[in-house]
Amino acid sequence: MTTSGLAVETRGLTKRFGRHEAVSSLDLDVPTGSVFGFLGPNGSGKTTTIRMLLALAAPTAGTISVLGSEMPSRSADVLPRVGALVEGPGFYPFLSGEANLTRFDAAEPGTSSRTREGRVADALARVGLPAAARKKVGSYSLGMKQRLGIAVALLSPRDLIVLDEPTNGLDPQGTREVRALIRGLNADGTTVLVSSHLLAEIEQLCSHAAIMRTGRLVAQGGLDELRGTTAAFELETPDAERAVGVLARHGLAALVTDDVHVGDGRRVDAALPGDVLSEDLVSALVAADVRVRGVAVRRPSLEECFVELTGEGFDVER
Amino acid sequence: MRPWSDADHSFTCDSEDMNTSVKRWVPFASVPLVAVAAAIAIPLSTNAAQDLPEKTPEELLTFVAQSDVRAFSGEFTQTSDLGLPDLSALGGSGTGATSDDSSIAAAIMELATASHDGRVYVDADNGARLQVLDRLGERDVIATEDDGLWVYDSGEKSAIHITATGDVPDSPTLPPADVPTPSSVAEDLLASLDGTTTVAVGSTATVAGRSAYELLLTPRDDASLVDSITVSIDGETGLPLGLAVTADGSSSPAISVAYTSIDFSTPDADLFSFTPPSGVEVTEKTSPANEHSDPATPEPGTGLPGATTSGSGWTTIVELPAGDASAFEGLDAVTTAVDGGRVLSSSLVNVLFTDDGRVLAGAVSIDALEAAAR
Amino acid sequence: MSNAEVPAADHGRASSTARPRGIGALLLSEFALLFRRRRTWALLSALAAIPVLLAVAVRLSGEGGGPSFVGEIAGNGLFTGFAAITVAVPLFLPLTIGVVAGDSTAGEASLGTLRYLLITPVGRIRLLLVKFAAAALFCLTAALTVMVVGILIGLALFPVGPVTLLSGTQVPVIDAIARALLIAVYVAVSLLGLSAIGLFISTLTDVPVGAMAATVVLSITSQILGSLSQLSAIHPYLFTTHWFGFGDLLRDPISWTSFGENALLQFGYVVVFGSLAMGRFVTRDILS
Repeated sequence: MTTSGLAVETRGLTKRFGRHEAVSSLDLDVPTGSVFGFLGPNGSGKTTTIRMLLALAAPTAGTISVLGSEMPSRSADVLPRVGALVEGPGFYPFLSGEANLTRFDAAEPGTSSRTREGRVADALARVGLPAAARKKVGSYSLGMKQRLGIAVALLSPRDLIVLDEPTNGLDPQGTREVRALIRGLNADGTTVLVSSHLLAEIEQLCSHAAIMRTGRLVAQGGLDELRGTTAAFELETPDAERAVGVLARHGLAALVTDDVHVGDGRRVDAALPGDVLSEDLVSALVAADVRVRGVAVRRPSLEECFVELTGEGFDVER
Repeated sequence: MRPWSDADHSFTCDSEDMNTSVKRWVPFASVPLVAVAAAIAIPLSTNAAQDLPEKTPEELLTFVAQSDVRAFSGEFTQTSDLGLPDLSALGGSGTGATSDDSSIAAAIMELATASHDGRVYVDADNGARLQVLDRLGERDVIATEDDGLWVYDSGEKSAIHITATGDVPDSPTLPPADVPTPSSVAEDLLASLDGTTTVAVGSTATVAGRSAYELLLTPRDDASLVDSITVSIDGETGLPLGLAVTADGSSSPAISVAYTSIDFSTPDADLFSFTPPSGVEVTEKTSPANEHSDPATPEPGTGLPGATTSGSGWTTIVELPAGDASAFEGLDAVTTAVDGGRVLSSSLVNVLFTDDGRVLAGAVSIDALEAAAR
Repeated sequence: MSNAEVPAADHGRASSTARPRGIGALLLSEFALLFRRRRTWALLSALAAIPVLLAVAVRLSGEGGGPSFVGEIAGNGLFTGFAAITVAVPLFLPLTIGVVAGDSTAGEASLGTLRYLLITPVGRIRLLLVKFAAAALFCLTAALTVMVVGILIGLALFPVGPVTLLSGTQVPVIDAIARALLIAVYVAVSLLGLSAIGLFISTLTDVPVGAMAATVVLSITSQILGSLSQLSAIHPYLFTTHWFGFGDLLRDPISWTSFGENALLQFGYVVVFGSLAMGRFVTRDILS
């Protein structure tokens, strides 16, 4: 759909509030069909960026393209294809969940009133809220509101779904459901942009990610790209010296960690280059009569990457 | 509750934001500007009157005298800007006064300080009616040949019915003459013109959407506070459409009355038949056929009991004898002390309340009043 | 057709050129929103209480007299409606309209629903139009509430007969009721300017209470300015100038002048403040 294959593309996107620069020269690339993790601590400019992507706020400088069209000038054409949950759910507390969805559906131009009831029921079913459909939203828990907010984004079929902190206020079960929902949407071809200040929560979900810090983009790209090519190879064996030799033949500089003893076994650590497969190493070790008691390949988490990139903790306000 | 620092800045705006948002504002901001411009320009443009055939002052006076409008209805506005302090607190708004004298005084006060909208209906064959349209109230003067004169006040819920005494077989005046209208007031004024006044023809004006001549009346006597009186006269029918009195040294009229719309078709005859509604207190009065009383637009110097006049023409001074002073109690707040009394001063009329209770009034300077009081 | 199965590129949505389509649904949704709020009914109930209190007070005291029209209630129940609307016009009606108009976009902003409406995308101008339409509908409902409840309570508690107009003419009951409804329309039109002002103020802030208060304060300020004779030059341009002009509908014949002047003035206010509201709202960053 877009020549660049990007669902969202910003160039030099900047937003200033008075003297405070909330977003600085952001070049964001969200590939079509990806699940894009938009990560950063609270106050790093994620939500401001999302507001600009959705034409809620005008950029101070820079350009935005969403689904191939310029924003905010083409927002009337683009936004119907975008579903979003921004800055927490917002509802009329005196209306039922169903009535709230009906209101938002009616607000969308060109939606047919004949099929409205069906759309609302479908959206409620997808977030698991049919039982509470007729209760006033004022009586909903935060988690229920969050689900209802996702339901709003799902009222019509969308090409891009933007979910700002979708798991906020959800219990672990709800969080799992949201993850499953995102995977399902993505499987249907929808690009999903998920923002979060909890890296671990969505790391396993994303194909791509961008990391923000104080309004600037720290890193972005495919998840493996971000984590770097180097992983840690950890071997537990009583035949430590022999193992070091085998690993050395494969180009790995291994070290025996003397102070870690598991029974008579010892630990051998080595950095695993991207072009060496761990399964090849294991079969080579076994072939060399190294008794392998345990092998682990540890890739760094995004959080560790972040700490490495910025030199500080990720969620400073947590 | 998640902290979100951006929210703190939602009301600030820096210069770069300003530039873009100013541009986007333009189409919307221009609409109010156009609307305000229209509100100013449209009333001005209606003042562009059409040309009328030229007439000399004498021809215009004849034109008015020979005017043969027997039936019309119109809405009018009367404004007063005499430079008086707000007297409404003193005299009420023409309601609530009880004695005849003070109600007349209150009516004068009200006329001098407030603006009025009204309607007149005139049919020389049937009758005449004046409606003073007050806020949530109305005062009516209705005159017919058969039923005399009705004065109705909806606020007071009172009506005065004045019938002619004895037998008046052939009333020389038609009933409409009893009801003051902007036209009749102007006609009376023009009919009473004498050598003390210079008459000139002014520019053409638009009154009530009609092209009108303007007749300019200027006192020859400089001692008068009146600078000029402008009478607008309908270019087609010769009916006076308005009257404006300008005080010395002022550019806008101190008192003006003019139709805002006028219709020369015959008004509905039902308008002239008045039946006092239930719950209304009716006072029956009789009066000699040719005298009339109209509290709606009393003129200073007429109808006041015991009044005497001195001087003549534009500088006439009316003097009320001692004894009425109680009716003007509490005027200290709006009057200023002078030698021998207190003065209520306005751009058009000065009133002197002497310490011995007399009241002198006229369109003359305070000095002239003081001189007359001696 | 089941919506979920329709491909994303074509699921029955009108193209962008046909955007105005569906404003009816939004309008109905806005009206439903207005009248499903308990607050709206509380406001209308408070307005309905005015004629009821008036009528009960007159009934219990059994006295005539009092301000405009109140003195007539005991003699003719229909005057309860006129008296109530006279009492409601300067403060109570502007108060309720201030609440509804001031809340229009600021209320959505404070609930957080504004951003979801805009993402939908409702269209900012479209949203303002329906917000104003809802405020206008509320004006009419509010004025009718006062008048109709007034007439009903008057019918219940007092004798009813031909009504004496300000001009002293008596008209039959049915004629008087028609004029009463006309007065309600007049009063509703009178409040349109204030609604537009409230809408504009509402676009300036995310705090609905502030917008409500500012709107009400403006309506009172305008009335105070209108009572100062020193400011007579600006009186014709105050939106409150013709608020009591509804009395002209109780004359014989009806004077339509004030109705026309009032409508024109209110239209002017709607145009001016409507465009200011649009200018502000279209350029505004929605950060709530």
